[in-house]
Amino acid sequence: MKAAAFDYIKAQSIPEVLALMREHGDDARLMAGGQTLLATLNMRLSEPQILIDITELAELKGIELSGEHLWVGALVTHTEIENAPLIKKYAPILQAAAPHIAHRAIRNLGTWGGSLVYGDPAAEWPACSIAVNATMVVRGLQGERRIPARDFFVDLYTTALAPDEILMGTEIPLANAKDVFSFQELARRHGDYAVAGLAAVAKKTSQALSDCNFVFFSVATTPVAAVQAQNLVNGQVVNAELITAAVAAARAEIETMEDITNSAAAKSHLVGVLLERALKKMLAD
Amino acid sequence: MELNGEQFIAASVPVVWRGLNDVAVLGKAIPGCETIERISPEEVHAKVMFKIGPVRARFAGKLLLSDVIEEKSCSMAFEGSGGAAGFAKGRSRVELISAEGGTLVRFTTEASIGGKLGQIGGRLISASAKKIADDFFEAFAKELNPHASEITAGGAV
Repeated sequence: MKAAAFDYIKAQSIPEVLALMREHGDDARLMAGGQTLLATLNMRLSEPQILIDITELAELKGIELSGEHLWVGALVTHTEIENAPLIKKYAPILQAAAPHIAHRAIRNLGTWGGSLVYGDPAAEWPACSIAVNATMVVRGLQGERRIPARDFFVDLYTTALAPDEILMGTEIPLANAKDVFSFQELARRHGDYAVAGLAAVAKKTSQALSDCNFVFFSVATTPVAAVQAQNLVNGQVVNAELITAAVAAARAEIETMEDITNSAAAKSHLVGVLLERALKKMLAD
Repeated sequence: MELNGEQFIAASVPVVWRGLNDVAVLGKAIPGCETIERISPEEVHAKVMFKIGPVRARFAGKLLLSDVIEEKSCSMAFEGSGGAAGFAKGRSRVELISAEGGTLVRFTTEASIGGKLGQIGGRLISASAKKIADDFFEAFAKELNPHASEITAGGAV
């Protein structure tokens, strides 16, 4: 299969990208890793007139410490996240999640920012970004905006990013020794789209958890936090009783959505299974 | 694929009925609708650009109305072709029920989607259809009731 003809521009600067996006509007697509975009082009599921290649833009690259945050540029690949010592130290759940993303060849090219702005409900990064309280830094012709990850994913494949804006990268608060996490994903085969997944992060003091984020993915049209379960657990010593209550709360509050192979009821069941596993894992750490 | 649901619209049954039968209103409410024209009382042709995630597919389709009971219910058969992307066809039944402060629109739809869109997009086809239905009703309610900012209740389920 082969894409329809399109023009191609390798952008040299962010202002150039923004000007091109304004000029071409919906006829243009930004290309980062291309791991979703090029497949849909080759399948002719979309036929943009122009591809703007952003892969040369240094401002979108790199993982660095900046003040109290970890900066992860939009063009950082899944493999870089998997291997970066800074991620391991300051956002370890990302390192745990990365191997679940597709396969090595895709992880070598696919990007953090590409996955976030695409907003696939089955993807790992949107849920992880909410779990670590990331802030999206986006730029448009009007300037820069910061959007908390929890407000970024608004609907199926729909984010708070305006059509003329580009995601520069994300700021992630640094994890410290108190932080515990668990990343859980169920898939039919390794690398397949998740049937259900959970990115869980909390702070642990002896056997009590606080500041919990339990963010599920592939169960609804966007990643979704189990807010009531989080509130139940926050500040409490986690025992078997509390786990049962949290599992019940998460199952009750999350409105699951069927996909082609799994019913909504099956997904609700899995929400509880994953939360139980995550809580036990965080206690054991 | 099945898509069933009901949606409350803050307008009377006759107003909603007229809206659903007015191609000018439909043209503004259907997400991505580029052209729409009534060929006969029972037949409507439309061109629609579907944009869901990475997919941009232009569908040319037709809609045939049947079992029309004025201001109450009707059935629709539809089919559309999206060129290389695939095709869709199906049937839908729509019923209007008078409710306090407005109208309840109840719909049941059965559709099949084929071609590449069916193979590749199958994973999220129900979610996509639901989003299109939600977007339609939101825009439709605004068309009928331009001063009301939000639909008040309901949602496709």
